[in-house]
Amino acid sequence: MVRIKKAGHHGILLPDLKIGLDYSGTKADHYFVSHAHADHMPRNRKLTVYATPPTASFMKLRGFGGKVKTLEFGETLQTDAANITFYPAGHILGSAMTFIESDQGSVLYTGDYRTPPSPATEGFELPETNIDTFITEATFSLPIYKWKSEEELSLQIRSFASENLNEGFTPIFTAYNLGKAQELMYILKELDHPMQIHGAGFKLCSVYEEHGFSLGTYESYNRDTCEGKILITPGSALGTGFASNVKKKRVAYCSGWAANESRQTQLTVDELIPISDHLDFFELIDLCEQLNPKKVLITHTPNPKVVQHYLSRKGIKSGFLDLEASDVE
Amino acid sequence: MEMQTSNSFLSLVQTTQKISTTRGNNAKIKLAASYFESLSSNADLKLAARYLSEGAFSSVSSKKASVGHRTIATLAADFCEIDYELVFKPSRTATGSSSETIQRLFENIPEAQSKWNDTQLTLQEIDSIFQQLYITSKRELKNQILWDAWTKMTPLEVKYFIRILGQGSLRIGFESKSVENAIAKAFGQPLESVRYARMISGSMEETALMAKQDVLDKATFEMFSPIAFMLASPIESRSVEHLSEYIAEEKFDGMRCQAHVEHGKVKLYSRDLNEITGSFPEILAFFQDRNLSPTVLDGEICVFKDDTILPFQMLQKRMGVKKPSEKLLAEYPVLFIAYDLLFLDGDSLFDDSLVVRRRRLEDLASEYSLPITSQMELSSEDDVEKLFERALAHGNEGLMLKRKDSVYEYGQRRKSWLKVKKPSGSLDTVMLYAHAGSGKRGGTYSDFTLGVSVKEDERYEEEFIPIGKAYGGYSDEELKKMNTLIKDITLERFGPTLLLKPHLVIELEFEDIQVNKRTKAKYTLRFPRFKAIRWDFSPSDADTLKDVERMYEEKLHEERERQGINPSFIFRG
Repeated sequence: MVRIKKAGHHGILLPDLKIGLDYSGTKADHYFVSHAHADHMPRNRKLTVYATPPTASFMKLRGFGGKVKTLEFGETLQTDAANITFYPAGHILGSAMTFIESDQGSVLYTGDYRTPPSPATEGFELPETNIDTFITEATFSLPIYKWKSEEELSLQIRSFASENLNEGFTPIFTAYNLGKAQELMYILKELDHPMQIHGAGFKLCSVYEEHGFSLGTYESYNRDTCEGKILITPGSALGTGFASNVKKKRVAYCSGWAANESRQTQLTVDELIPISDHLDFFELIDLCEQLNPKKVLITHTPNPKVVQHYLSRKGIKSGFLDLEASDVE
Repeated sequence: MEMQTSNSFLSLVQTTQKISTTRGNNAKIKLAASYFESLSSNADLKLAARYLSEGAFSSVSSKKASVGHRTIATLAADFCEIDYELVFKPSRTATGSSSETIQRLFENIPEAQSKWNDTQLTLQEIDSIFQQLYITSKRELKNQILWDAWTKMTPLEVKYFIRILGQGSLRIGFESKSVENAIAKAFGQPLESVRYARMISGSMEETALMAKQDVLDKATFEMFSPIAFMLASPIESRSVEHLSEYIAEEKFDGMRCQAHVEHGKVKLYSRDLNEITGSFPEILAFFQDRNLSPTVLDGEICVFKDDTILPFQMLQKRMGVKKPSEKLLAEYPVLFIAYDLLFLDGDSLFDDSLVVRRRRLEDLASEYSLPITSQMELSSEDDVEKLFERALAHGNEGLMLKRKDSVYEYGQRRKSWLKVKKPSGSLDTVMLYAHAGSGKRGGTYSDFTLGVSVKEDERYEEEFIPIGKAYGGYSDEELKKMNTLIKDITLERFGPTLLLKPHLVIELEFEDIQVNKRTKAKYTLRFPRFKAIRWDFSPSDADTLKDVERMYEEKLHEERERQGINPSFIFRG
């Protein structure tokens, strides 16, 4: 089996293969970035990393200072020690699972992923070869998390927008700038109603368009003209004046964490839309069972013991890669 | 969501859920009002009003289901065939709500899904389940009743069934006042009449029915059914507008009490409307001796000895003791000091002004020799200051300022009564544990155990020991900042609780220090809350247990002036 080390907040290192996964340290020869969310992008600007072409574009737009070499999905990079291939992870555009084959065995590192995949991604695909070590995130690692179907959620998203527009309210969706924001736009474009997106998210939309994901009619947020449009913004901007001039508005919080009712009063929003870019608990357990690896290593979770408990009942060996649990999607 | 036939429990809980997710009080009231209107049978209306405001049993019935939170949680875990410790508890920590957790597990877990069916239980069938739980005392039978009930409900119904059973808040941002509002709206009645009827009858369901039948004016006050107390608002500064419209009384450090007396029959009720007569036999005897015609008094129970009002800590020795011994009675004798008269000889006095009520109270007190508060006129802020100092000298908490023209605003905390209190004590403490919050604070660490230093204390081996638990007084911004920091100073995790590295210093404000032998420090703080987060302090700046002990002793042995001239109350016994 391949040796695997967590590297604190700096990702995962395969020391014998000198491979770094979402890794910021200096002990690897080859670095792979799963996707362009801040908690996975290396902070070290001296690095040269591999990423999919959309991830490479996002990283540059979001200020990554190092060099990015692109590796397409399904294309295999050969190093002295291993063969490395990216598979689509279904989390956000460009998100990749990293598959590593070596003499010491194979490893699939998921990064963040979702199956069934987000519609605004390249899909979700698994390697056909056997996996020895399956390193999986488990953000939603409790049986209270079970997602509604894409159809149901899309309906809720579109109804929230259209019903409020009909009643003269400006609908505002709060969502993360990269991934969730564009997924919402992709779902909302069917309404054929103009959208405005927060500037930090707007500049990322072109990457979606370049890769064939049309996001509808939209422009960058403009305070003076935003009323009556569908608005998309990270929640934090609502506290700092975003659309504060619009009196009649309603806010929907879009996140897997919206499954918890307490979020409504904590965030004072009108609607909770539990749309996640991670897989749910049941999908996670099912996937592990389907892959049946020699060992599952769990990361990015506040509740590794729950997942391990369910896996052990299915006879699957598992361990906890103790990265800092993250509450951020 | 398809609405069900209106007399189904499902229809009630769907309305409840809709109220919960709707923002704006008026919109919530509208939903509840149209639901009340849709109920055709009187029996269903009564149950719906009860479930939305009081719980499984009417608050005048004093019935309880006596099913503990843990019983419900472990039974629900069995229902899902999951491990309680390993799976249920972390799930509950994540949601901050046991009932929401149960709802979602019942929805998600195949082993639970296969057990329940949507059978559309009626409100009256739900009532009979609650009644069965009440009459059954055996735990296994209670469990069986709950289990059977759950097999006949959807998970949404189970969530609210549990909350209603708990007799607590439904946690939908819709409290009793809003239910009164909805009843008024549904049946086109003036809100004040609905409020009055509710207060007088003590019952939401009777009120709803009276409103529907347009007979709210028939609501009459009944002796031995306590009504909600009028409450006072705190004021920070001593400057009060229109000072001369208020009178002042000293504010006792005792226990609020409502006394219902009719000749030999006497009942005493506490702030939370529980009967406490048994704990105070001397007050019972005191009133029995006087043979009063029907009378309801609002006042305070205090320990009174050697012409001195003694501290609340002394009264605590008597509180909750069902049958006090002769020794306890002799050591901590109590007195009921009246300050308001709510009912006399068939007349309700709630709607009379304080001046009128007071005059009748004074007449009654002089005829029957009852202790009543001294009232002082106010003409300047200097008066407030002087009277305040005198109250403190008596060992009292401060002053009450009451508007002379105010009616008795039962159950309300408005500006007609103001309390001026001594600034409470404060301590610099160290944060030792963080606890996941529940309810609206679910999912964040919002409750904190704070400790004082015992580093130099030969009695202890630890560096810090807990002194109190606080869950308020900070802003949302500060809470967020603390939650971020906590991640970095967590040493260990026990379910919903994090053990923290001593790092963060909190200036804690509290009302009082009490002896509590069961705690490590042997002292606890009353009403501790955050005063300031001292980002600038380190744990070595924290106060010590010795400081706490010194503060306690000082408070206890504070000179208390005898009542003498200028007494806090008048009693010609």
